[in-house]
Amino acid sequence: MDKIVKIRHRGSSHTLKRMWRYKWLYIMLIPVIAYYVVFKYIPMYGITIAFKDYNMFKGVFESPWVGTDIFAKIFKSKNFWLSIRNTLTLNLTTLAVEFPLTIIVALMLNEIRKLRFKKITQSILYLPHFVSWVVVAGIATNLFTMQGGTINNILNGFGISSIPFLSDNNWWVFTYVICNVWKNIGWGTIIYLAALTSVDESLYEAAYLDGASKFQRLVYVTLPCIKPVIVTMLILSLSRMMSIGLDAPLLLGNKKVIGVSEVISTYVYRLGIESAKYSESTAIGLFQSVTNIIILFVADRFAKLIGEDGIL
Amino acid sequence: MSVRRIRKKKKLTIGSVILYLLIILLAFICLYPFLNVLSYSLSGYNAVLSGRVTFYPIDLDFGAYKEILARSQIWLSMRTTVLITLMGTATSLFLTTLAAYALSRKDLPGKKFISGMILFTMYFSGGMIPTFMVVRGVGLYDTLGALFIPQAISVFNFIIMRTFFREMPESLEEAAKIDGASDLQVLTRIILPLSLAIIATMGLFYAVGYWNSYFDALLYIQNPDKFTLQLRLRSLLFGEELNNSAASLEGGGTQVMTQSLKMATVAVSTIPILIVYPWLQKYFVKGVMLGSIKG
Repeated sequence: MDKIVKIRHRGSSHTLKRMWRYKWLYIMLIPVIAYYVVFKYIPMYGITIAFKDYNMFKGVFESPWVGTDIFAKIFKSKNFWLSIRNTLTLNLTTLAVEFPLTIIVALMLNEIRKLRFKKITQSILYLPHFVSWVVVAGIATNLFTMQGGTINNILNGFGISSIPFLSDNNWWVFTYVICNVWKNIGWGTIIYLAALTSVDESLYEAAYLDGASKFQRLVYVTLPCIKPVIVTMLILSLSRMMSIGLDAPLLLGNKKVIGVSEVISTYVYRLGIESAKYSESTAIGLFQSVTNIIILFVADRFAKLIGEDGIL
Repeated sequence: MSVRRIRKKKKLTIGSVILYLLIILLAFICLYPFLNVLSYSLSGYNAVLSGRVTFYPIDLDFGAYKEILARSQIWLSMRTTVLITLMGTATSLFLTTLAAYALSRKDLPGKKFISGMILFTMYFSGGMIPTFMVVRGVGLYDTLGALFIPQAISVFNFIIMRTFFREMPESLEEAAKIDGASDLQVLTRIILPLSLAIIATMGLFYAVGYWNSYFDALLYIQNPDKFTLQLRLRSLLFGEELNNSAASLEGGGTQVMTQSLKMATVAVSTIPILIVYPWLQKYFVKGVMLGSIKG
């Protein structure tokens, strides 16, 4: 086999010879590259319609260029800024509740010494992560709805009047955060629990012998040891502030609370798919992608600046 | 040893009692919504109507399940979802393994470029509409293929797998090469049999993703006969479908009937996940740890 290769490529360059040796690997990569070109890179070319007045009958190539007109239009649109504000509000509120809670729960789990008990509780806490958003939204509706919702039934039982969890703007944000925290908190502890197992036991021992109380050991031993992980996770979460999953706001949202539930991704969906405004929808998507990349680079720089690992 | 002693002493303090109680409360909060679903789906009509159902079924009644399982649409959707999950997982595993194996070889010319091409899609993408146009353009719109082909490779899983392949001892490959094996043979005869655990993990990652995904179906599927389970569930929970049919069946008091029916549907679509959950959880946690090592 190798002899044939040598003869065939006697005249060609060294690189080609090397590449021929790896022919099977390249053959394996053909479907992979084809996949990425078709479903990832051609759509990237499709972004050009953000700078065109897209017309379905003319297609992507023939539609006339309009420069940044589309952007000028969306930057003037009230709904666009509203969707950005809502995205940031929901993300920041969720982060503010979920981030510290996840660490606290991880620390609590870490204190449990009965291994069987720990395993079972971990299994239970991870469970919501595996349930689809449609199911979560369905359950949430059953629990939180005004009439006949379980929680309001219980409140009514105590003589408290029903709370509009799903139909009042502020309460809706509350419900949204609750659902997210419920779904993600257990799963989020995994990374911290892993970091906690790598804390050197002799540090605790030394602190104990020096008379440190349980709380002092937590503050002066545990937290400093997992601080790098905490900082990295925080920076990572902050760098994702402009992107938001479409599932939760779309499924939990309804017409009454659209003023707080319409986020960038749902807006892109409604504008693009439901109203068939392809150019505008794509322009918003592009704006979001570019903002995301900028935030990511800034966050990475910042992480390195304060002496932590970068996130890129 | 002294660590042990320290731990022993701690055990009976008030602090640890509170700790255990809090953890139990937390576990209860995680489980309660599922309990709520079961209670509603199994309760009698009047119990639901009067709002007495909270923690357990009242006037045990399997009517909601009978009604929901008698609907051919549910079975159709279940079939579609099973099909998508199987085909999607197979396609994803195939492509991810090829990519991860080929790009884990150290001296492959062009490796950097191709890896870069894959990783770049993590940070930048064409977005919803341009992707939608391509999927429609290649004729996948309103076909089941649209539900797994356009998102076949997850970059995250690719990184995990590549890391795994990279860490395999090189001597294995070299020995096989000396015996005249091609790269393809090295992959199928040597690497794959040693990677069953990681492949199973990746397979579970993909399978759960496909089972739970609904947005792709919302985007690409129009024909109601091709609705996946999640999409069907969505239209039953939040759409008009169920309300109308229940109204025709029950006459008055439809709202309550639908509550039981809705929760029975939720239960039916979640139970398969719960059945495989013990395996899922074990492998997933491993996978997350592998992923956090970062490629």
